[in-house]
Amino acid sequence: MKEIMVYTERCNGCLTCVLACAAAHAEDKTIVGAMAAGVPGRLFIQAVNGRPVPVLCRHCEEPACVAACMTGAMQKDPETGIVTNEGHEQTCVGCWMCIMACPYGAVVPAPGKEKMAIKCDRCPDRDVPACVAACPNLALAFIEPEDFARERQKSVATALAVEAGVPA
Amino acid sequence: MTAYVIVGNSAAGISAAETIRRLDPEGDITIVDVEKTPAYSRCLLPNYLGGTRSEDALRIRPRDFYQKLRLNTCFGYRVARVDVGEKVARLDNGARLKYDRLFISTGSSTFMPPVPGITGEGVYGLRTLEDAKKILAQAGQARRAVIIGGGFVGLEAAWALYRRGLEVTVVEKMPQILPQQFDACAAAILLREMQAEGIRFILGTGIKEIAAPGLWEKLTGKAGRGVILENGDRLKAELVIVATGTRANTGLVEGTGVKVNLGIVVDKYQSTGMEGVYAGGDVAETEDVVSGRIGLTPIWPNAVAQGRVAGYNMAGIPREYGGMIGMQNAVEFRDVPAIAVGLAQADGDGYEILKEYRPEHNLYKKIVLKDDIIVGLILVGDIRQAGVYSALMRKKAKVTRLKHRLLRPDFGYGQVLSA
Ligand SMILES: Cc1cc2nc3c(=O)[nH]c(=O)nc-3n(C[C@H](O)[C@H](O)[C@H](O)COP(=O)(O)OP(=O)(O)OC[C@H]3O[C@@H](n4cnc5c(N)ncnc54)[C@H](O)[C@@H]3O)c2cc1C
Repeated sequence: MKEIMVYTERCNGCLTCVLACAAAHAEDKTIVGAMAAGVPGRLFIQAVNGRPVPVLCRHCEEPACVAACMTGAMQKDPETGIVTNEGHEQTCVGCWMCIMACPYGAVVPAPGKEKMAIKCDRCPDRDVPACVAACPNLALAFIEPEDFARERQKSVATALAVEAGVPA
Repeated sequence: MTAYVIVGNSAAGISAAETIRRLDPEGDITIVDVEKTPAYSRCLLPNYLGGTRSEDALRIRPRDFYQKLRLNTCFGYRVARVDVGEKVARLDNGARLKYDRLFISTGSSTFMPPVPGITGEGVYGLRTLEDAKKILAQAGQARRAVIIGGGFVGLEAAWALYRRGLEVTVVEKMPQILPQQFDACAAAILLREMQAEGIRFILGTGIKEIAAPGLWEKLTGKAGRGVILENGDRLKAELVIVATGTRANTGLVEGTGVKVNLGIVVDKYQSTGMEGVYAGGDVAETEDVVSGRIGLTPIWPNAVAQGRVAGYNMAGIPREYGGMIGMQNAVEFRDVPAIAVGLAQADGDGYEILKEYRPEHNLYKKIVLKDDIIVGLILVGDIRQAGVYSALMRKKAKVTRLKHRLLRPDFGYGQVLSA
């Protein structure tokens, strides 16, 4: 199952992903529409020692937010692996139990009057999630975790080789 | 084929059933419950009372859930007794359910303090849909309501009835609301918001008696009914809700050898030690990760997590309960969200307290540390990173290098990742 993977070192904090996410979740699917309606992005770029770090939902295997959900709205789709509180028969009441449960802080209250928690839904209607498609630095990738791990190993090996003065 | 019997059709029971079905496609699973309705969320009863959630929207699973998972349902029957020797659950109508594995997730019931008049008319707990329906029926002909107990359930009930247009008074024995979870500072913020809305609070006094019309007239010389406080004050009320606490429903294993303290004692595998008998949810006592104490942790997420662990072990796949943190809870009144986790009120020797208090913004953050490990947390006004703090607490992570950043408004998982 493909997941959104993060190459933190490639991120320069341009926030294009956050804007693209907001646009994808806006009624008219545009950045302007998102800004006008105050639609927030569902992933976060946090500043750590002056360096940007993307933080987003991992769509966990056994999600704490699903266990915490007292209405049954938060569910993990067994086929796609997507964890979301939208599009189900049961609906969110904004009790914030999921927010308390998520170790990544990836679930937040929706802005405005409506009481509802919002989180990454991995753009179910798109082949590639909006944030990944928008990232100009290839800091986000939508790939199989195994491929990500393999590539990571390769790049670490390359880095080590470079450090050791050995051409990779 | 293994026969599984689950007593209790709620958070823990449903979670166990789902887990067992996933791991044992052939197993014969039966769920028993005295309540006749498909599984619903008790946590939403205040929303139902307040008129913001319909009865149908209380269900926590789709309509075809039991059929799809091939779960036999035995609703409307009480398990009167478990015979651990014969491995039989006896129902109140005399029927016997044979089990190989039994999961007891019978939850808890409203505790009615032993004061005169408490069993009278117009006095209710708030634990079941039936309770909520009775309250609604009474609310229709009531003008004033008294809520006994200023804990989570009491305040939620107060808020709901207030929304229905009743005059609401909350009576709390302790000098602050939410005495179990919050410290005085956090409680004061929430109190002020609810008072501003028009809900009345009487703190620091308990109730002496609930007076039915006859007695009320004798005492006051006027028509009516209501509550008499310990300090002698009288509160006229046509509707009284008792929310002073709950008791675990352990009656079905009394005298069977299953160990019971405040709840059913279980090990890390949710096993009671009796062959094939497991327990979880509000009815069970487990170990609190932070305090190390064994006790009840009667909240929804813990019930779900324990049901899942029990399900694994019942299906023959050993799995340990990772442990949860007690007293984790969220409330929101008048748009001020609040959360308390762990030893939020810990004080004195060996504890370090980080605090930020901005009353003008209804903002209060408090982190309790012991040896640089987070052991307690209160967030009022801004709860966004509650899960990140809780995870650090659960993992007992040393936060020495993060400490100066913990209270900053931009604190988040990114900082943890890079620490
Ligand atoms: C008003 C209210 C608000 C709440 N709000 C929150 C909240 O915001 N957050 C939170 O985390 N928690 C909240 N809770 C607590 C939460 O509802 C419980 O922790 C949760 O329901 C526990 O689930 P359980 O499966 O262990 O037990 P329960 O939900 O209590 O279910 C037990 C079931 O067993 C059945 N039963 C009992 N004895 C027998 C028997 N002998 N035979 C057959 N059936 C039996 C009962 O009928 C019941 O259906 C709230 C509770 C209430 C009442």
